[in-house]
Parts: sequence; C-alpha cells; structure tokens
Amino acid sequence: MLCSNIREILINTEKKYGSEDAVRYKKSKNEIEAKTYTQLKEDSESFSCLLKALGEQGKHIAVIGMTSYPWLVTYFGTVNSGSVIVPLDVNLPAEDVCDLIARSDSTVLVYDEVRKDVAAIAKERCPQLKTVISMQQQEHDGQIYSFWKLLEEHKGSFDFTPEPEQLCTIMFTSGTTGKSKGVMLTHRNVAENATCLDMKIPERIVVLSVLPIHHAYCLSMDILKGMSLGAVVCINDSLMRVAKNIKLFKPEMILMVPLMIETMAKKLEEASLLPAKIVKNQVFGKQFHTICSGGAYLDPSYIDLFKKYDITIQQGYGMTECSPVISTSQRWNIRKDSVGQLMPNCEAKTVDGELWVKGSSVMQGYYKMPEETKETLEDGWLKTGDLGYVDEDGFVYLTGRKKNLIITKNGENVSPEELENALSANRLVGEVLVREKNGVIEAEIYPDQDYVKKKRVKDVKAALQEVIDTYNTGAAPQKKIYSLVVRDTEFEKTTTRKIKRF
Amino acid sequence: MFEKLVNIICNYVEVEAGDIHPESRFMEDLGFTSFDFMSMLGEIEDEFDVEVEQTEAVNIRTVQEAVDYLGKLVSEE
Repeated sequence: MLCSNIREILINTEKKYGSEDAVRYKKSKNEIEAKTYTQLKEDSESFSCLLKALGEQGKHIAVIGMTSYPWLVTYFGTVNSGSVIVPLDVNLPAEDVCDLIARSDSTVLVYDEVRKDVAAIAKERCPQLKTVISMQQQEHDGQIYSFWKLLEEHKGSFDFTPEPEQLCTIMFTSGTTGKSKGVMLTHRNVAENATCLDMKIPERIVVLSVLPIHHAYCLSMDILKGMSLGAVVCINDSLMRVAKNIKLFKPEMILMVPLMIETMAKKLEEASLLPAKIVKNQVFGKQFHTICSGGAYLDPSYIDLFKKYDITIQQGYGMTECSPVISTSQRWNIRKDSVGQLMPNCEAKTVDGELWVKGSSVMQGYYKMPEETKETLEDGWLKTGDLGYVDEDGFVYLTGRKKNLIITKNGENVSPEELENALSANRLVGEVLVREKNGVIEAEIYPDQDYVKKKRVKDVKAALQEVIDTYNTGAAPQKKIYSLVVRDTEFEKTTTRKIKRF
Repeated sequence: MFEKLVNIICNYVEVEAGDIHPESRFMEDLGFTSFDFMSMLGEIEDEFDVEVEQTEAVNIRTVQEAVDYLGKLVSEE
C-alpha cells in the first residue's frame, strides 16, 4: 500500500501485526531478544514526547551507532514528530562526525557507546548542540542523558501526522568536491520509495539486516520496506558474524552489497562437490531464498551462480539523492545485464549520455549547498552522474560513471580528490592521483624531486609508503589506500595544468 | 596455529598454502577483500573458540600479526 509519510508505514503495520515481532537482536552470544511492532510504536512515540519536552520537536537530531533497537526508536520518534533525522556513519573519525553535526545544525545527538569519543568532544566542537543522549547509559549523568531513562520519564502517546512535503532526513553522501553533502529528503521522498512498488514479497518475511544503517539503501529497504510488509527485521551484530547469524536468525532474505555476495559465493563454491541443495542448506538454511543487491555494480555471473543454489539475486540501482532506489529487478522478470526496471514513481531520460531521473523520490537539494544543488537538479530532474539508458520496457542499463567518484565494492563513495589533497600535504609528494584498481584504492605518486635531493631520501618508495601508512592510520576504512605506484616522470597534464585522469 | 590459520585463509582466496608466509599481507598480497577478512575473523572465533574484538582486529595487516593476536586471545581464555 502506497504511504506518503513514514508514520503511516509504522501505524498501518502496528494495527495489523501489533503483537508480532518487529525487531530481533542478540542479547548475548546465542540468545535472541525481540521487540514487537506495538513496543516499537510506543517507544518511538515516547521518544517524540521527550523531544517535545526538551523543546527539540522539529529540530535536527543526529544519530550515530550500529543498527540497534534504540537507533530505530530514535529514527521513528524523530521523523514521526516532524523532526529531521541526521544518520551518521559509525566508522567516521570523531572530528569528521562533529563537522557533520555542526553542518547539519543538529541540536540533539543520540549516540551508541561505541562512539563515546564523539560524545566527549561534540558539545565543545558544535556550539548549537544542546542535548546529548547515550543509548546505553542507565542514569542521567551531568552533561549526558540516558536514552532509557528519558523514555521512561516521557512515556506517552504522540498524535502527530507529518505532512508528505515535510523534510524528514538529512543524509550525508560524499561527493566529487571532497566535502560530503547533506541530501535533504521529505516524508514523501522516502515513504513512497519504500512502498510504491509491489515486489510480491510475502508479508511477515524474516530479513537479516547486515548493511550499515546510515545508508539510504539499508534504511529504505531493510527497515521501511520491510516494516511496511510487517517483516521481522533481525539485526546482524557484526560483519564478522554474518554466517553465524544466518544460522541463528534463519532469514529468508538479505540485502547485500556486491562485496558480500562475492564472499558468500566463495563459501558456496568451496563445497561444490556436494549437491547444491545440501550446500545451500548448510550456508543459508532451507528457508532462505532471496538476496537483494545494491550499492555498487554486481558482476551478472553471480546471478547464475546463485540460481544453481535456488537463490534469487534481485539487483537494484539507486543513489541517496533518489531516496535511494531508482530501479530494481523483480524475481519473475530478470534481465542479467540490466539493473532492473524503473520504479513506478520514477521517469528517466538520457541527456548527453547521462541518465537523468524525475519523480516523487528525488531529493529537495543539498543542505545549505545551493551551488551543488543547482549543478545536480534541473527542473526537477536529478542528474545521476551515471552514463546509461532505459529501454522501451523500462529496464535500466548503465554503461559507466560520469564522475570520478570511486564506488568501492561495498558501496561506499570515496572522492579521490579528498584523498589526493590529504596526501599532497606531505612535502615528499609532488603529484598524486588516486583511483580504484582491482577493488582497492591505489595512489600513484610522483615524488617531489627537489625535496628528495634536499633531504637525501635514499629509498623513495619506502618513504612514500610511510606517508601512506601515516595517512591510513587516521582514515575511515573505506578511504584507506592499499596500493602504491611510484612514478619516474611527471603526469600528463591538461592545458589548465590539471592531471589527466584517464 | 600458523598452519591452522593458513588452512582457513585458503577458504577465502585462491592462494596455495605454500605461498602464504608470516609476512604476507591479507589485502595487498593475498587478495582479501575487507568482507572476506571480516568473515574469516568470524570463522576464527568458531574455530579457536575465542571472541574477536572488531576494533582491534581491523588493525591486523599481516598473517603474523593475526597469529600474534590469536595467540593473545587463546592465552587469555
């Protein structure tokens, strides 16, 4: 059923499946705890109440942590009270997190104790930040509130219906300019993306959520689409334990990025001497049937490989700026070379080879970045930056990327310019080019010859490797550089002295 | 422990056991992806009956470092 605000999704499902499990997660190593749809609705309404009591209703609420029940309560409690959620990457360095809290004008921070380093400096770095809430702390303590204590103190129902055109999310994505951009999405953008397509997924399906929750794909598909179908959303506690958690939670469907599908394929093929059915039951369990792939390009040969094991891979394509799904394949209509059919709320055209899309899921713009917004949106059309086309049946085909943006295999966007700037700060680095090669990020460097002579650097390669190692220590995981090429000659330049990328 | 680890490594990458050395780096030399590496840590947890601390484990780059880390975990058990 098409919903135009996020509250409708939760309310409708709660009416139907109130006493059934909404979320399952690990309490200890092998023990599962669950929360029902009624509990989720009630706790999120209490969260809305506490925002109102703190005078924060309608403001921007930043949240950082792994996927967890408190994270979801924060999410629904925020957006359903007409406030704006700002989901942050749990792996970002604390300084970067604070920069995003400040740039998004967030007045509240809800954090998981794994990022207590952020909480320790956030108030000092972000002058507009008024309230800091810990998801685990049992009691209020000086500057920091306890999430659970606040919920208890403000227990109550909250009757508020957000307008479809109301802003509900600012989601940060990294861009080619090197500075991440806050994608502004309304209730309609997000809710219609999750509910406008009937994928014939059975209600009450059990899904295992393994992707990071601050990603639009995970939030829209695992959580919102899942919950619109009354799904049981099981939370994977660590990427180390996907295989183990599959056995524990017995999911029927998992959303993955291609990197994960490749590893799972190895697991299946490792036992290829055994009959396919037995292998599949061992690795995924009897009940498992579907993998949804998104976030990056998937080699189509994996679709056939998994078919052998009676597992369907449904490929999708999207970007945060489109809430995020633009196209998806349906299990009964898969064309291997295509990234699926356009969503019913989306139209597309090709302009100079680039795919442009329009529809109810296209963002409102980048938060406080009018120039970048103007470059990306034109008369309601979103310029995807991807080269591609749509055939007469609505199937989308991608042929390459227009931008230089590196999309790592796990779907993270990395701007090469940002890494180049960081490395250039070292005197030994004369010229540098960062790119993706064989799935890892590679830096090609032409050392500063004067500096080499002046400092009598003997082993230039080792010295440059040290520069990379130092950079890597402080870098987010997806921005680490794993390959170094040292050049003997300068790079070829354009007339404006820019290094030629290709 | 080294041999046991080498056996596990061979499940994730197409490298002959004889080509895996203590100084081999998982990503650069053995061709691990980050998710291969995470999955292997999960398998190690089961195999050695230890609990791997993800925040510490992400700093492991070479096979020797993994052996050292594992040794520490096993001795703590």
